[in-house]
Amino acid sequence: MVDIGLFTQIVINGLLLGGIYVTIGVGFSLAFGVLEVVDFAVGEYVMVGAFMGAVLAPLFGAEGVFVIPIVLVVFFAVGALIQPLIHHVTTGDRPHPLLMGLVFTFGLATFLRGGVLTIFGPNSQDVPSSLLTGGIAVPGLGTFPVVRTVTAVFGVSGLVVFMYYLYRTRGGMAIRAIAEDRTNARLMGININRYQSIAYGAYAALTGSAGVFIGMTFNASPGMGLQYTAFAFFMVVLAGMGYLPGVIIAGVVLGLTQSFTAVYISGNAVLLVLFAIIYVVLLVSPAGILGKGEWAT
Amino acid sequence: MPRKHDDRRTFLKSVGAAATTVGLAGCAGLGGGPERDTFLLGAVTSLSGDLRFGGGVTQRGYDMWADTINREQGGIEIGGDTYEVEVEYADAQSNPSAGADAASQMINDGADALLGPYSSNVTLSVCPIAEQNSMPHITGSAESPQIWQEGYEYSFGTIPTVSIIGNEATSALLNLEPQPESVYVTGVNEPFSEATAVSMRTAAEDAGVTVENYELFPRDTDYTNVVSAAQNADPDLHLHGGHIGSHVDLVSASEQLGYTPNGFLMHYGVNTGSYKDGSGAQAPYTFGATVWIPSVDRSGGVLFDSPQAYADAAEAAYGSAPDYTQAGSTAAGIVYQEALTELNAAPPLSQDDKDELIGILEEIEVNTFYGDVTFEVGGEYHHNNINTQTLLIQLGEDGSPTIVGPEDAATGEANYPVPAWDER
Repeated sequence: MVDIGLFTQIVINGLLLGGIYVTIGVGFSLAFGVLEVVDFAVGEYVMVGAFMGAVLAPLFGAEGVFVIPIVLVVFFAVGALIQPLIHHVTTGDRPHPLLMGLVFTFGLATFLRGGVLTIFGPNSQDVPSSLLTGGIAVPGLGTFPVVRTVTAVFGVSGLVVFMYYLYRTRGGMAIRAIAEDRTNARLMGININRYQSIAYGAYAALTGSAGVFIGMTFNASPGMGLQYTAFAFFMVVLAGMGYLPGVIIAGVVLGLTQSFTAVYISGNAVLLVLFAIIYVVLLVSPAGILGKGEWAT
Repeated sequence: MPRKHDDRRTFLKSVGAAATTVGLAGCAGLGGGPERDTFLLGAVTSLSGDLRFGGGVTQRGYDMWADTINREQGGIEIGGDTYEVEVEYADAQSNPSAGADAASQMINDGADALLGPYSSNVTLSVCPIAEQNSMPHITGSAESPQIWQEGYEYSFGTIPTVSIIGNEATSALLNLEPQPESVYVTGVNEPFSEATAVSMRTAAEDAGVTVENYELFPRDTDYTNVVSAAQNADPDLHLHGGHIGSHVDLVSASEQLGYTPNGFLMHYGVNTGSYKDGSGAQAPYTFGATVWIPSVDRSGGVLFDSPQAYADAAEAAYGSAPDYTQAGSTAAGIVYQEALTELNAAPPLSQDDKDELIGILEEIEVNTFYGDVTFEVGGEYHHNNINTQTLLIQLGEDGSPTIVGPEDAATGEANYPVPAWDER
């Protein structure tokens, strides 16, 4: 007999876990869809964001939330500076541009992980917050952990803002034109470097900020990045490569699957079930669950 | 102009000469190495990967011993001469197969004996290598009972197996008032953590306490689901076996969901800086298990006068308080030091010396700052030092541990039941 209280709590846990994945998947999907960069450094941006939270929060009254605007600005600037380098290695006469981008970002990821490990050592660091503590108990439903709820709202809001920018502004139109055909976009007078830097900077800013939220939810650890890189890949495969709205569906599917498998089947079966879903989606619907992404090849 | 085949002949001669030189050098290495005026200890531990924190702890423990004996006594005295101790490290990379390779490398480098890795997983792969090569091996860290159940002749351990530590700490916790009637047991799915969780479950069952659930999870699981299931069972105590990262995730999820049993007992490492840094404000009131902390009332012995003297020296050297893994690692070195003194053979050790060393280790009794070390011979704890008393500790508001059990060792009262998250 299924306990209804536990069942609804597992649904809440799964949805909010999915919300955490959405915060990472949005930027990653944007980077792939617009810039055609498979960014292996996504998890390390999360990790560095979390460490920025751990280091800067004590300067703001031990409140990680106040660090987020700083992380947004810093990561946007750093992302905008890194993008021309990625553009450089993925264009021109170089063979396999996608692979070149992957290798470049893999190197970046290794550098970031090694740098944090050297500076901060192997220990985990707490990202303190007195605003986002505890949970809100809703009678008949369950408990909504505050930090996870806010993280999920942040992720979905980020997605909405990106969607608005892409589909309702001239800058967004320029970015979509670049994604469609770089050469023609350039011929139409679009400053490709500028808009690509904006897109990559926005992706880095969102992902770094997600790192602060994730740090407040769990903690900051030098080894945490790889896990989020793997989940970012899961997200874009399920969402459909480069299809932003699919990210929410993918997050919900991943979160709920993980939660229900852990409680009703076995904690040890979670990765098995997740990989099984990925394989089935790749076999049956390579363009993602909704079939609207690019084909995974 | 030289003919082409002359060039080739010259090239082949050069390659042949180089190969011969390298081969001869290699043979010299395999023969046990040149004469040395130092004892060479090969330490296999995780200097990279997920277990690098624990690897660093063992490294500090081994270095603490080597640096102290070299500085204060000039090394180990053999027949009137003193031989310094050199510890050479090989990175196990938090990976059992890399650990086995690292042990082989140390043996090929001519080590006189091995100091063992951090974590049972890696130790379980190093023990067979020590056995195949008849190489003495003492670990100052690994706790899985599986290591000792194998009956290895060349491997020893200074820290009691977790089936004893976990069991005794749980028993001490179950004796606190109000006595718990139910427990919820979780663990990470790897040998050490599973052994810890099993020992906790066994202690609860032996005490007649209801075990609401026992389940293992992968390291990277999302603990809100673990906590939700536990919260639904509403146990008096939550017992958890794992490494520090999983403890941090468990208390974070518990705080977020308002899950407050009367207490959390977690092993390993709640009194380490890593746990306190990672869990921040959620660390206080956590119960943990240890066999040594600086304030424990034990007499001193070889090299360090008391537990506090060791802690002060370690703090001065590394800037952080030592835990029992670091202390057990230093004790492993001290045991070697006493055994080598008794062996009375100058380095490098021959195979006969190494075999004789094993006999000495089986009978040795060493009084150290860590406690009295003797190794079991035969039975399920073969070559494990099971004499060191387990201590139940609880973290205070400032994160410092107090011994709260068993009764005869307690230095303070337990804060039990622990306050709810919103009352802290």
